[in-house]
Amino acid sequence: MRAAAGLVALSLLAGCAAREKPQDFFQLTEESPRHKAAQTRYFETSGETELLSASAAVLQDLGFQITESVREVGFLRASKERGAREYGQEIARFFTALLSTVGFFGGANTLVVLPVDLHQQINAALVARPLDEAGSRHEVRILFYRLVWRSGGQSGDQSIPPGEQRMEMIRDPKIYQQFFARLSKAVFLEAHKI
Amino acid sequence: MRGAALLALMAGALSVGCAYEWRHQIQWDSRDQIWRAEGSQVKVRAAQSRVFDGSDRLRMLEAVVHTFQDLGFQVEVLDEELGIVSGKKFVGVEKVSLGFDPYYYLYDEEDLVVFTKAFRSWGPFWHRSNLVRLTVTVRARNASQQIVRASAQFYLTPIEDPEPYQDFFRTLDQALFAARALGE
Amino acid sequence: MSPRSGARRLAIMALALAVVACATPEPAPDLLAPTDEQMKLRNLQTRSFDVSDRNQAMRAVIAALQDLGFIIERANESLGLVTAARFAEPRYFDVVGVTVTVRPESEGRMLIRANAIYNNEPVTDPQVYQNFFATLERSLFIGRN
Repeated sequence: MRAAAGLVALSLLAGCAAREKPQDFFQLTEESPRHKAAQTRYFETSGETELLSASAAVLQDLGFQITESVREVGFLRASKERGAREYGQEIARFFTALLSTVGFFGGANTLVVLPVDLHQQINAALVARPLDEAGSRHEVRILFYRLVWRSGGQSGDQSIPPGEQRMEMIRDPKIYQQFFARLSKAVFLEAHKI
Repeated sequence: MRGAALLALMAGALSVGCAYEWRHQIQWDSRDQIWRAEGSQVKVRAAQSRVFDGSDRLRMLEAVVHTFQDLGFQVEVLDEELGIVSGKKFVGVEKVSLGFDPYYYLYDEEDLVVFTKAFRSWGPFWHRSNLVRLTVTVRARNASQQIVRASAQFYLTPIEDPEPYQDFFRTLDQALFAARALGE
Repeated sequence: MSPRSGARRLAIMALALAVVACATPEPAPDLLAPTDEQMKLRNLQTRSFDVSDRNQAMRAVIAALQDLGFIIERANESLGLVTAARFAEPRYFDVVGVTVTVRPESEGRMLIRANAIYNNEPVTDPQVYQNFFATLERSLFIGRN
């Protein structure tokens, strides 16, 4: 019990220590080129409108709903809301509740119900721009990120209200590969890596 | 005796919000939802798309916007060159049983969704309305035809039945006919 | 002091507190007036660049923000406005938001102003803005090849 409290305190302190200062936000980091490479492809075409239109169609295929479109700067935003429950979290919650009622976490009256993820809103922000003066080559950069809302819970006799929100950037390069594979097929052009 | 109490406690713990939570789809990794392109692709795609004769995109978009208005959607995205019309509406099917829920008035829907902690009309709360989103794209199929594709989402799932899309296209037909009848 | 008068006192106090709690906070008369601090900030936040095309400048701003890992929230071409924001990963408690406007200053020059907000407070550190404009400059020159 004391060990658990100690661990919790340590993790909180660690969180406080790792605060990023604003300057760092406006500087490129070591991961920036890697992220850019995963999120970007270029196409040998001068049709930016066609690229944007095809991107919108691909996003529609993936179940996204377009929420913003600014063609003049080649900007598209799309989102979709889906369920976010995971088996792993449900299993963890079940066993934690079970063990807590048995008295594993100190005291037979503590009931710990872990909040689980419920919904998510997956967003995509896409920008298409020309890579040279003549506009014969265009680059498409897309970013996927999601917001997740949690359910309520219980910690002893204190109830945790539902609705806690967290945000996650999608860094898995496979998802971006799949998007560009579909986009490439939609415009009949090869998607070159930068 | 202790075992019965334990079981009761467990049942209580599990049933906390359970009925509400069960409406959400469960999977091993929730990130799979990003690339999951919905269900019986071919069948739904056929219902979602319609080919129209004529190449006047502007007129088609006007008719689509008219249809959005008929169906009570707020048009949020309208791009003539890309041929995108997108909007959403809230269907108030779920109401608080007591009739008055103070939590409903705590949230500010003017904030950008990304950065609000709670969004009144969408979130894991009972009193919010259900969100319906609709995106329609109009693209040229060839020199003399256009293809209109509608995709809709209700609450947390894409609409995969063909009937709602048939209704949509029926309303769109009416809008096109009305526009033609006005001699535009 | 009899228990009844004590209870009555308590009730009056509670009522007084309730009335005080119900009173809405009054807005200060200069709520919308610019402060000196904000005026000083303006110079830090603004810089002009040798770009003749506003569209090109806006695209460079968007590319720079994307490189820095920002999420583009809004872009308005006719007003020359780009809004973007970023969380500090992996903890999502800290938010940096930035609003960038691109305006023509004179022939062949654009005036770019960036307002950065960190956790609901305006950023006053000049280094932050220097870093942003350094990245933007790089993005502008790459775009011009």
